[in-house]
Amino acid sequence: MEELKNTLKQQIIESLNLEGMKPSDIDDNAPLFGEGLGLDSIDSLELMVLLERNYGIKIEDAREGRKVLESVQSMAEYIQQHRTI
Amino acid sequence: MMKPVYISSASVISPQQHFEDKGLLQDIISTDDGMMWVREPNYKGYINPVAIRRMSKLLKMGISCGMNALQKAGIEKPQAIITGTGRGSMVDTEQFLVSMIENEEEVLTPTSFIQSTYNSINGWLALQTKCSGYNQTYVNRGASFELALFDAQMLLNETNENIHVLVGCFDEITHDYVRVKSKIGYWKKPLPASKDLHKHSDTHGTIAGEGSAFFTVTNKREQALCSLDAVKMLQDTDTGDVIDNINNLLAEHNLNLSDIDVLLCGMNGDSRQMEVYNQLSALASENTTIANFKHLCGEYDTSSGFATWLAAELFKAKEIPETLIARKGNHTGIKNILLVNHYILNSHSIMLLQSVQ
Repeated sequence: MEELKNTLKQQIIESLNLEGMKPSDIDDNAPLFGEGLGLDSIDSLELMVLLERNYGIKIEDAREGRKVLESVQSMAEYIQQHRTI
Repeated sequence: MMKPVYISSASVISPQQHFEDKGLLQDIISTDDGMMWVREPNYKGYINPVAIRRMSKLLKMGISCGMNALQKAGIEKPQAIITGTGRGSMVDTEQFLVSMIENEEEVLTPTSFIQSTYNSINGWLALQTKCSGYNQTYVNRGASFELALFDAQMLLNETNENIHVLVGCFDEITHDYVRVKSKIGYWKKPLPASKDLHKHSDTHGTIAGEGSAFFTVTNKREQALCSLDAVKMLQDTDTGDVIDNINNLLAEHNLNLSDIDVLLCGMNGDSRQMEVYNQLSALASENTTIANFKHLCGEYDTSSGFATWLAAELFKAKEIPETLIARKGNHTGIKNILLVNHYILNSHSIMLLQSVQ
């Protein structure tokens, strides 16, 4: 799980172009949107694409997507349960 | 005939200098690889910090240059935003197309697609300035910036109110763009140093350039840098038509060629595209200084934006940097500048700018 979270953080940094950030700068449980990393709606689309491309996960339900994208921890847990690649 | 409009501020990002630099063309930058990339300013303070990380260079250039032009004019919110771009965001477009191929048209990321649209810079400028007024992006190759200026002039001619129109242009080069254009003999071979471009006007080809320029344009003469009296675009015309159009345009403003202090020429070093400039130079009076600018910015669809910025700066500086001068004239002061530009053989533009002092 720890390895997955670190990989995921690295992928988030790369896909969202979070310049100057390291995986260790992202708290596992900090909210990704709003006051945490301060991501916005375009970032959420990028994260959905990240999940599909790297883990074969396609989230159709927006409400479910919102829960999954709450934090690195919630994303990693969902990936572990639903990944197809 | 349309009334003149006034340029109250001018901002540039070019291969030579950007809006944070002081002075005019003090250190000339020359390149040997045929690609004149812009010198980038510090974008911080001009663009929403959350959004900047996603932006390509062109977006950062256009938005910061537009915001800087507004700052210089002391305007927080313009009443209209009108821009021109020949090719828009090439980097984002290429990135999106490559991603489409690599991912077999599935699972595509949205950012480069969203930002590859021509009007994304106008959108960002409108969001940042909270401007919900007229917003237009012209994408008409070499006439894009001229059309934006012309539209601004028409808009301002329709009102007596003191409104501010943000007018600008932006274009960028990419390695792929240069590679593709090289296949149709667009660039010089061998490549000269950019500063020597005009010494090689006896051979085919030019050099590539990029840049952004923005202006605040109003009906208010007071404190303006200069007036923009006329913008004219000519398509599918021969040299004789271009010269006739220049003479007619000047006559409409009670001027003739000998009244022009600076003839700012868009010659790009390609021997196939010199005829208008050669004929115009032969007709120009001894009073007129003939000046070139594409050795400083390279050739691109909206290079006339760089030239318009240059003209505004010349009125301010009241002198002409040596690097521009092809032939020095006997004029005293700078009152009238005629800008003649072209984009590929038969598309020409003419602009008349005048001092307001």
